[in-house]
Parts: sequence; C-alpha cells; structure tokens
Amino acid sequence: MASITETIRNEVKETVYSFFADECEVDIAQINDNTSIINDLDGDSLMFLELIEIFKKKYNLDIELKVIGKYAVKHPVATIGQLIEMQLLIIEHENRLLDLEQ
Amino acid sequence: MSDNRYAFIFPAFTSDYTDHPGRDIPGFDVRFNEFLIKAAGYTDPELAAFHFLENSFLDHELRTQYITFSYSCALSLLLRKAQLYPAITAGYSMGIYAALFDAGSVSFETGLELIKLAYQSLHASLNNPFGMGTLIGLNERDIQQIIEQASLRIEITNQNASHSFVVSGYRDDMQRLMELAKEEGALHSRSLSVTIPYHSRYLEEGAMNFAGRISDLEISAPQTHVISLIDQISLTTPEIIRTELVRNLFHPLNWYATMEVMRAQYVTQFIECGPSQALAKNARFVDGIRFFPLSAMLP
Repeated sequence: MASITETIRNEVKETVYSFFADECEVDIAQINDNTSIINDLDGDSLMFLELIEIFKKKYNLDIELKVIGKYAVKHPVATIGQLIEMQLLIIEHENRLLDLEQ
Repeated sequence: MSDNRYAFIFPAFTSDYTDHPGRDIPGFDVRFNEFLIKAAGYTDPELAAFHFLENSFLDHELRTQYITFSYSCALSLLLRKAQLYPAITAGYSMGIYAALFDAGSVSFETGLELIKLAYQSLHASLNNPFGMGTLIGLNERDIQQIIEQASLRIEITNQNASHSFVVSGYRDDMQRLMELAKEEGALHSRSLSVTIPYHSRYLEEGAMNFAGRISDLEISAPQTHVISLIDQISLTTPEIIRTELVRNLFHPLNWYATMEVMRAQYVTQFIECGPSQALAKNARFVDGIRFFPLSAMLP
C-alpha cells in the first residue's frame, strides 16, 4: 500500500491531463477537474484502460483490471477529477481496492 | 515490392462515418464514388443513394459491408498511386476481401461477389437470433469461465488486445454474458448491431455452402504478403486463399497475435485503410506499433 504524497497527486493529475489532451487532441488549458470525459472529450473505455496501464507501469502496481471494474460499477467515473481520485485510490490500495467497500 | 515496413490493415465495417479519413484526402471522393456506383450496379441499386451522414445504411449489415469494401478499395488505389506499398497486408474479419483486392488476388467485382455469397450463405444457414459483442477488462480465462458456468451458447471469436475480446453466439445468451461480465469486473461490455455470429462454429454449415459457391470465382496469387488472422500463416496461393476465405467465416481470429507476429517481422508502421480508426485505437496496447493517419500518408 503506497501513501499518496503531494508529489504523487501532482504526477497523477499531470499525467491524466496530458494524456487526455494528447489522445483527444484538445488544448490542455481547456481541461479541468469538472471536464466530462465522454461528453466534453469524447473519451472511451479504451482510454481508461490505457491510462490504468500507464499507472501500473509507472508505480509498479499489483492490481487486476477486474478489481477496478468491480469498483467502477459502484463508483462510476464521469469527470477528469473523479478519474484522478480513482487512480489515486488504485495506487494507494492496489488489489485491496475492494476492501474499501467493507 | 517496396522494402518499407508498412502494414496495410483493412477493417470489416464501421459503425460511424463522422470523422472518416477520406474526407481530407484529395481525390478520395472521386475514386470512392466510382466504386460505389459500380457496386450499386453490380449488387444493390440502393447503394447509389449512400451519403456519409444523411443516408449511411449503418443499420443494414450487407450494404455496410459493400460500402466499407468500396471505401477500402478506393484508399488502396490512392495508396498505390502515391507509390506506397505494404510489407504485409491484413484483412480484419470481413476486411479480408479488401485485403485481397489490395494484394491483386481478386477484382473489385469478385470482392463484391464474395461479400454477397458469404452473407447469403451464412444468413440462410441460421435459424435462431444471433449476435456479437465486445468485452474489455477481463482476460480470456475469466470470460471462458463465465460462459461455461452459465452454460451460455457463446464463443470468444477474436482477441483485440490483452484484455479486449470479441464474442459471438446466441443473442439471448449475449445479453446475459454482458451482464455477468459487468458483475465480474469488465470495464466495458457492448452488444454489436450484427445478426451473424461471425467466426463462430455456428457458421460452419453456412461456410461449407459458401465454399461450394465460390469454386468458380477467379482468385489469383497475391502480389504482396497477406497474413491470416486465424493462425498468422502467409496466404500465398489461390488454393490457400480459398481455404482461408471459408475458414475465416467460422474460425476464431486473433488480431492481437497477428499484430505481434507482424511486429516480430519488424513491421511496425500500420495504416488503417477504412472509414474509421477503431483498429488504430486497439493497437495502443501493443508496444512498438504505430498507426499512421491516412491524411499523413496521402496529403
């Protein structure tokens, strides 16, 4: 279990913003925490999956995708800010993410 | 043949023409309309009324295949005109007909005939509602386990990436699979708007009928290296191609493995020759492969 430092929080935010600016071909200045991933950026689940893979490599995470999927069913992500919060939880709890439900 | 490392990839069909790449390519409209008019005269007069936004026939399974084939053939000619030649060509699913056109194995008319005969043979052999779907986020073992535990009449019929799969089977069971997959942790599940369970064993009878009907069609040896999505062999002779055309209908594909094989042969630069960029999106999960936008290749 990793503790989320200010450095990690900033890295995650920066990575998510840059990723969507690049993938969706929009100016990064147009993205904020309230930006809707689907409605404003035309994002999709493959992008979500790719982002998870990026963080898995970057932080050497031990987490199965289906654990994230089960968590996401109960905690759907709609905005960039919500996505960042979920990524931080994934980094912090890895395969124990579902323990948060208990 | 060029010594470049490009792979030309021909998709099956699209579900959206909103950002189709041809609109930015000089000369595309003329070529595409020539093929479309020819296809309308040869197969279905309604095709002449096609319009990308206002009359796209996206809910018509067969017309969509004719249109995608015409679209891909137009791009193939433009790529050749620009002196671009592939090291390898691949046809994704029903994109095999356009890949064979690009390789010089079949004429445009023969490609249309193959599409028509495949659709007719398969459709006539089915007496239950069937469908297809996509699942993202589970691995093959997880999906197989759900299918077996719930006794679903569904098969995994393609792998697009390590956690991205296509499934085919009975429509009633498809809906159930989508629900169970969500419960199991799939990040995304979606039924596709097709009525034929492509690449599944349910099509074996139809495929055998198709085999008998294509025996007289003219098929030549390809001028470029065409790869099978079933077992990644090279389709080098008319006999091998005929066999591939038949088994392509009822055997599972593995697009992920095909990309890996191409990469192992140092083919890392892909061009998706169709109306969408869906395959390019999937390729983000294969390290070392890069899809080039058509507008960059055909400025």
